[in-house]
Amino acid sequence: MTLRTPHRRHRRGTDRRPRVALTVTAVFFLLLYLPIAVVVLFSFNGQKSLTVFKGFSLRWYSAFFHDNVLIESLGMSLRVSLVAMAGSVVLGVALALGLVRCRTRLGSLAGLIMLVPLITPEIVTGVAAMLLFKGMDITLSSGTVMLAEITFSISYVTVILRSRIAALNPEVEEAAMDLGATRWQALRLVTLPALLPSILASAVLVFALVFDDFVLAYFTTGVDPQPLSVRIYSAIRFGVQPTINAVGTLMLAGSVGLIGLALAIPRLFGRRGGLDLLSGK
Amino acid sequence: MTSSDAPSAGAAPAGAPPAIRLDRLSKNYGGSYAVHDLSLDIAPGEFFSLLGPSGCGKTTSLRMIGGFTEPTAGTILLSGEDVTALPPDKRNVNTVFQSYALFDHLSVADNVAFGLKRKGVGRAEIRERVGVMLERVQLGGLGDRKPGTLSGGQRQRVALARALVNRPQVLLLDEPLAALDLKLRRRMQVELKQIQREVGITFVFVTHDQDEALTMSDRVAVMNEGRVEQCGTPEDVYEHPTSRFVASFMGTSNLVPGTYRDGQVVLDCGPALPVGDRGGVADGSSVSLSIRPEKIWLSDFEPGMALVRGVVRETVYSGPTTTYLIELAPGVTVSVLEQNTDRSRMEDRWSGGESVEIGWRPEHCLVLE
Repeated sequence: MTLRTPHRRHRRGTDRRPRVALTVTAVFFLLLYLPIAVVVLFSFNGQKSLTVFKGFSLRWYSAFFHDNVLIESLGMSLRVSLVAMAGSVVLGVALALGLVRCRTRLGSLAGLIMLVPLITPEIVTGVAAMLLFKGMDITLSSGTVMLAEITFSISYVTVILRSRIAALNPEVEEAAMDLGATRWQALRLVTLPALLPSILASAVLVFALVFDDFVLAYFTTGVDPQPLSVRIYSAIRFGVQPTINAVGTLMLAGSVGLIGLALAIPRLFGRRGGLDLLSGK
Repeated sequence: MTSSDAPSAGAAPAGAPPAIRLDRLSKNYGGSYAVHDLSLDIAPGEFFSLLGPSGCGKTTSLRMIGGFTEPTAGTILLSGEDVTALPPDKRNVNTVFQSYALFDHLSVADNVAFGLKRKGVGRAEIRERVGVMLERVQLGGLGDRKPGTLSGGQRQRVALARALVNRPQVLLLDEPLAALDLKLRRRMQVELKQIQREVGITFVFVTHDQDEALTMSDRVAVMNEGRVEQCGTPEDVYEHPTSRFVASFMGTSNLVPGTYRDGQVVLDCGPALPVGDRGGVADGSSVSLSIRPEKIWLSDFEPGMALVRGVVRETVYSGPTTTYLIELAPGVTVSVLEQNTDRSRMEDRWSGGESVEIGWRPEHCLVLE
C-alpha cells in the first residue's frame, strides 16, 4: 500500500489529457468540415437565401433532378468515371505485374517514372494534356477526358497493386503451372483471384477520384455535355444557385459511400491490406 | 554413382529406364555453381532423398527436375524421355512445395481437382478421384473448407493430395514437413512413407533433416556445395561415410586428428590406436579418425578394442540416453552416448573431472583422409 500512492500519482502525470493537442484537433476538424456542413445544411433550405436558413425542404434536390443540363452532366461524369476505372485498372494491374516481376534496371526506372503523375501538380498535367490534344489536332470531347483520366489514374492502381503482388507467394503460381496450367492460365486462375480484393478496392478509389476530378476534366473537356464538376464551376460563375448545394451534398454522399466501400472490400473477403494507402497500415 | 547395384527397396528391373536420370546437370548463378555436374539415376518407385545443408543445391536440383529453373548445362530424362527444355506444365511430374502453395480462394476439393481440370478429365471422374484422394490423406469431409481454415498438418495433406491425385510419374517434395512441429513431423514421416508404398510413385524428397532422410528413404544423396558427396542407402551413408563432410553431417561424429601408420592411427594427442588394415590409405598420411558417439564404450571392454584415457568434462542427461564429453587431450574432446538402460539414478555415474577409460571396436571407426 505504501508503494501504491506514488505509483498512481506517476501514472496520472503521464496519462494526463493533452489539452493543447485536443484543442488543435478540434479546431482542425471544425475548419475542415464547417464549410461542408454549411453546404449540406443549406441544401435543405426552404428559402433561396444562402445566408439565412428557413425551414426544411427538398426543393433544391427536386430542382436538380429536373435540370436537364445538370442531369446530362451527371450522366457524362458517370460514363467518364466508369471508362477511366476500367481502363486504368486493366493497365494499372498489368503495369504492377510487370514492375514486380521484371527486376531489371529499366524496370526499377519505370517504377519511379510511374510515380511522377502522383506528385505532378494536376494543373500541369491538365494543361499538358490539353496542349497535346490540340497539337495532335484532336477535338476535345468526352473521349479526351477519358484518355486523360485513365493516364492520370493508372499510378494509383499500380501503387496499390504493386505491394500486394510483391507479397504474393511465387510458389503459388508455380504450383498452378506444376499442375498443368500455362503461364496465362496460372495468372487468370490463381494470381488474379488472389488480387481481386485489391483490384476492386483500387477500382472504387479510381471511380471516386475521377468522378470528383475537376482540374483535368476542365482542361480536356469538349463543349457539351461537360462533366458535372466542370458544369458546376460554370454555373457558379453566374451566381450560386442553391441547387449547387444539393448537387454538392449528393456528390459528397456518393464519394463517402465509395471510399467506405473501398475500405470494406478487403474485409468482406476476409483479408487484410486491400487499401494500405487509405487505412494507413 | 552406384545406383543400379544399390540394395534399394525399389531397384529398377534390368532394362527399364530409370524414373529420373540427371546427366551432368549444372546450374550457374552469376559465376558460382548452385549445382555442379550432378549425375543421378533414380529407380521407379524409389523413395529418394536429397539431403544437405541450406545452399547445397538440393532445392535447385529439385526445381530443375520440376521445370521451374532452367539448367545451365546437362540433361534431365524422365523414364528415358528428354524433358530438359519442357515447361512445368508439360512434365508428368508434380511438386509439393515447402510453403504448400495452396490456392486460398478455392475450396480444398477444388484445390485437389485443379490438375485434373487442366487435363480435361470428366466431371464425374474428377469428383471420384478427388474424393478417394481426400480419404487417403484423411481429409474426407473437409472438401468444402477453405485452406485458410485448416491446421498446418491438414494444409500439408491438401498439398500432397493435390499433387498425388494426378498420378504423376514422379512426385517432388521440397522440405514438405519443415513447417510442422516435431511430433506432427514424426507422424507425417511415417504416413508419407506409407502413402508412397501404397501408390508406388517415385518420390524425390528434399530435406536438411538427416533423421528424416534416414527414416524415410530407400536411398539418400548427401549434397554439399552443389555436388553429391555420397549416394547410397541410409545405412551406407550413416555407417560408412566416405568423406569428412558426410560423417559430420549425418548425425554427430567425433573427428580426431592423427597420422595413419601400419594399421594404426597415431593421434596427435599421443596414443596410437589400432584401426585394422586400411587399404588405400598411405602410410604417414594425416587423417581424421571418425567414430560415432554411440559406438564408444565406457565399461566392460572386449579384447582387441582400442582403448584411450580421458577426463570427463561434461555430463548431459537427456532421458533415454546420457552424453558425456570426454577430453582426450587439450583441444581434443569426444562425445560418448550411453543408453540409460540399467540406470534409474545418475549418482553412480561419472561426474566432471574424473579420469576414465573409453574404448571401441576397431572396425567401428573410419579413417578419413
